[in-house]
Amino acid sequence: MKNLYIVLFAILAIAFTNCTSKTTEAVTDTVSDAVKEEMPSIHAWRANVPEPAPARKIQLGSYNTFTLDNGLEVIVVENNKIPKVSYSVSLKNDPIMEGDQAGYVTMMGDLLGRGTTSKSKAEIDETIDFIGATLSTSAGGIFGRSLTKHSDKMLALMSDVLMNPTFPQEEFDKVKSQMLSGLQSEKSDPNSMASNVSSVVNYTTGHPYGEVQTEATVENAQLESCKKYYNDFFKSNNAYLTIVGDISLDDAKMKAEKYFGAWKSGDVPSMSYGMPKSPDATNVSFVNKDGAVQSVINITYPVDLQPGTQEAIAASLTNSILGGGIFLGRLMQNLREDNAFTYGARSRLSADDLVGNFNAFASVRNEVTDSSVVEFIYEMNRMMTEEVSEDDLQLAKNSATGSFARSLESPQTIARFAKNIVKYNLPADYYETYLEKLESVTVADVKACAEKFIRADKANIVIVGNKDEVAEKLVRFDADGKIDYYDAFGNVVVYDDKPMSADITGESIINKYFEALGGKAAMDKVKSISQSMKMDMMGQQATVKQMVKDRSKIAVKVEMQGMVVQDQRFDGEKVLMSGMGNNEVITEGPMINQMKEQTKIWEQVSYMDEGYAMEVKGKDKIDGEDVYKLVVTNPEGNKSTEFYSVDSGLLLKKVSLDETSGKSIMVSFSEYTETDGIMFFGKMTTEGAMPFPMVMESTGVEVNPELSDDLFKVE
Amino acid sequence: MRIIILSLFLALATLLQGQMNKIDYVEYDLDNGMHVILHQDKSTPIVAVSVMYHVGSKNENPDKTGFAHFFEHLLFEGSENIGRGEYDGYVEKAGGTLNANTSFDRTFYFEILPSNQLELGLWLESERLLHAKVEIEGVETQREVVKEERRQRVDNQPYGSILEETFKRAYREHPYKWPIIGSMAHLDAAVEDDYKQFYADFYVPNNAVLSIAGDLDIDQAKMWVEKYFGSIPAGTKEIYRPSIVEPALGGEVRDTIYDEIQLPAVIQAYRIPAQGTEDFYALSMLSTLLSQGESSRLQKELVDNQQKAMFVGNFPFNLEDPGVSMAFGICAAGVQPLDLEVEMDKVVDIVKEELISDKEFQKLKNLVEDDFISANSRVAGIAESLANYHMYYGDANLINTEIDKYLAVTKEDIQRVAKQYFTKDNRVVLHYLPKSAE
Repeated sequence: MKNLYIVLFAILAIAFTNCTSKTTEAVTDTVSDAVKEEMPSIHAWRANVPEPAPARKIQLGSYNTFTLDNGLEVIVVENNKIPKVSYSVSLKNDPIMEGDQAGYVTMMGDLLGRGTTSKSKAEIDETIDFIGATLSTSAGGIFGRSLTKHSDKMLALMSDVLMNPTFPQEEFDKVKSQMLSGLQSEKSDPNSMASNVSSVVNYTTGHPYGEVQTEATVENAQLESCKKYYNDFFKSNNAYLTIVGDISLDDAKMKAEKYFGAWKSGDVPSMSYGMPKSPDATNVSFVNKDGAVQSVINITYPVDLQPGTQEAIAASLTNSILGGGIFLGRLMQNLREDNAFTYGARSRLSADDLVGNFNAFASVRNEVTDSSVVEFIYEMNRMMTEEVSEDDLQLAKNSATGSFARSLESPQTIARFAKNIVKYNLPADYYETYLEKLESVTVADVKACAEKFIRADKANIVIVGNKDEVAEKLVRFDADGKIDYYDAFGNVVVYDDKPMSADITGESIINKYFEALGGKAAMDKVKSISQSMKMDMMGQQATVKQMVKDRSKIAVKVEMQGMVVQDQRFDGEKVLMSGMGNNEVITEGPMINQMKEQTKIWEQVSYMDEGYAMEVKGKDKIDGEDVYKLVVTNPEGNKSTEFYSVDSGLLLKKVSLDETSGKSIMVSFSEYTETDGIMFFGKMTTEGAMPFPMVMESTGVEVNPELSDDLFKVE
Repeated sequence: MRIIILSLFLALATLLQGQMNKIDYVEYDLDNGMHVILHQDKSTPIVAVSVMYHVGSKNENPDKTGFAHFFEHLLFEGSENIGRGEYDGYVEKAGGTLNANTSFDRTFYFEILPSNQLELGLWLESERLLHAKVEIEGVETQREVVKEERRQRVDNQPYGSILEETFKRAYREHPYKWPIIGSMAHLDAAVEDDYKQFYADFYVPNNAVLSIAGDLDIDQAKMWVEKYFGSIPAGTKEIYRPSIVEPALGGEVRDTIYDEIQLPAVIQAYRIPAQGTEDFYALSMLSTLLSQGESSRLQKELVDNQQKAMFVGNFPFNLEDPGVSMAFGICAAGVQPLDLEVEMDKVVDIVKEELISDKEFQKLKNLVEDDFISANSRVAGIAESLANYHMYYGDANLINTEIDKYLAVTKEDIQRVAKQYFTKDNRVVLHYLPKSAE
């Protein structure tokens, strides 16, 4: 999670807004016809596109492998461009099912680097940072990198972390609370939401890829489970050690033996999983994101595509034509360049030895969500039914060749190739001959591949967006005409979509509210009122006293440490704002009207009067409680949105625009209790007025008390 | 005596390392004022061709913001000899990749091609500079694409508006006050003459650096550069560079932003001098002290010890004109921004009050050294760095020597800049809060 923010910040810090552009139709209407005009025909030669020079053969760097006595398989790639060496220990085992503790394996990975028998987390961090090195741990292994001159220091620590971790309880608690915070932010990130739901619908919860970490499962995770995972899987015979950089083979052998030779081997549990079933029709899954201005679209399903096969090479070309990395991909051309629905539309067809997946994706604006799905389906169908042109295929091949060559710039690529050869048992020359294999793929191969792996009619259509604005239009894409709703973590959500019965009106809601408070008759008898509240403000106690006299005057007094910090009064005509040395009398403006409303004690008593309008906006949920959503417009044209409990009839929340500050203010009411036959809220939370929520708790209500006129005097 | 020999060895070792990583290059000006930089590295058969134009959002007319970035999109539309939509095709069919990006200060275009396609890259870039051609439909499409880009990166992205919200409060006069992506209304209102003018003003060889790195033959490359760029006429007008000096902030600016987020965040943006100044290097070291690595001051104290932040760090922006150093903290669940802010301040206060130890100072130097040595591992990055160093400092060789400027910073400098710039009166503080309703 932390990495996510580092990446996020990196993006912010660069402050670039990039991308290229292009359109397909040729149009003659020219806006800026050769913006520099004085260019005569002396540039005629420029019309000739330069021919490529003879291509240089792409050379793969070499690597060496050896195995230590404890079974650790070592891969070494020597590259002296930069005086640095990296060491990577990676486990061989498949992921395991984590069940109702989903997240503990991830936690174990983080925990690994947080204490050894001889060093605390702070000491580990200090040692690594001091030499400017990197050391990171995960459930899959450990990665360390430093300048060559610091290798021994880095390795001593890496080996200590690998072999002598202590998994301290205190660090476990920290990791857990950080993960819980991380999950909080997933709730607002549409891509995380889409990815969670895609995992659930593609793989189901019976497969490790279908497990989603939720607040409940992380809460449930046990330190003992982490320790067990370490003890089961962190064995020398269950790992590769990859050494890349400024180091000779001899030196690598020496260091591997010195720092990893003592690592213990042992039996490792084995797992096997069935192949998740691909959907047999289209199925729309929707996650609501309040206020979203774009929809994230994922069209996705699992595929059985094994890495290191000729089929995987053909599949990568097929995907490239549809929507792979290149800009000329059909999805990008259609959705971005022809239709301008999105900043980018792409697809991915991944090979994986357990189960691969297909995903076509874009973020599009609300209004074109359904049109975009249509275009996705159109392009996928075109792949399935039509042969691609030789040109399209050649472009994909050239692009793949170029990308292969560029990837060789990093010595880590050779190490990855070497590891794949060992892991998937590929022929030793698999990567040496990769470009020839790529070149041999035919148009017919691509067609066969598309028929097998591209299926718009049997796909999960996962959409994260603004439910009110886009969901309804997506029903038609679902084979059985029913959208499945999920929360951010892939749990099923049921919305009460039954139409509102006609007898639920603004009036009926307000009348029920009055009844719930104690009845209109009882309310009418209340002419004056005084309510005391306490509130915690930046660590200090404040008391608030709110008084209304004769339904015509108001006074609000805020005290902190015995000092009056705010005294606000309304005498029926003028407002006084005083406190902390300020003193201001207001005689006109929106505040006067707002105050007049407040003198009614319950502003709802005017809602049936002329000039007010009420509109029922359906049902919603607040903290699991069903509510009616009511939009009220007052005679000045100001709107507020109020939420009344379906069950109790009480007002739970009110959202309105404060005209004086221009801020949207949300007030929530809870813990209603009775005084003199009338219900008053016990707790009021105001958000939006201050940079933090203000929580006020009622300490007492007096109905029709004697209140001195002096309290309300404005002068 | 032993000590002297030891330090001699150390110096030698450092020297050796410096040489291992030294970037050699050739640079010269064409007659039309275009600056050319060539770096040869034959280890992989690829070549990066890039052109950096010294125009960014800060060169825009305040009534026509977003032009620099919009132009970046339009300049892929085609030219006199490249049909509409063919630009990407030439590159991708050749097995290359291309992109561009725009910052406050400059616009950068690049292709990474198989090395036998160098001439194609030069042709494409020279066409873009000499006679780009933009059709009305392209303008319409790119306008919508840019709007989607804004929605995706800013509006629908948690914390996506941080940069905009910070800079518009940190600057009142200077053009950094408006966002790079600009105003959608300004883009909608733009007409043909606006485009012509912007292109004529800024897309001239004397406002550009052509930087090429990779598997190339220097003599051959020079010949092709002359062929494709030599005949492009120089611009005759003086290029507009804003001279606006932003006055001191004159007091803390505080505000609250409501966003579609779950965890509140705190931003503290301090106004600082431009990149390349002595104080900027000291401020960079201060940022390293505060944020780099798990043992850095902010991370250790707030993420680990107090667990009040999910993430926290301080980062100075590399800007040509005086910029900001931005601290950014995301609250752990249940922590209020004010609470986190107070603790962030305390961490900075300690730097102001106590000189850092020799050991911690050595750590900073080691971190800087590691970063510097790791920086130039890819040809595309080398091409961009060389262009950057030339464009902003007139000294491409900083790619080899800039580390000396960091290492010249003293412990006392770090304390001094913390005291001088990290003050309340000199900062913008934003609290990001979950949107309360609707």
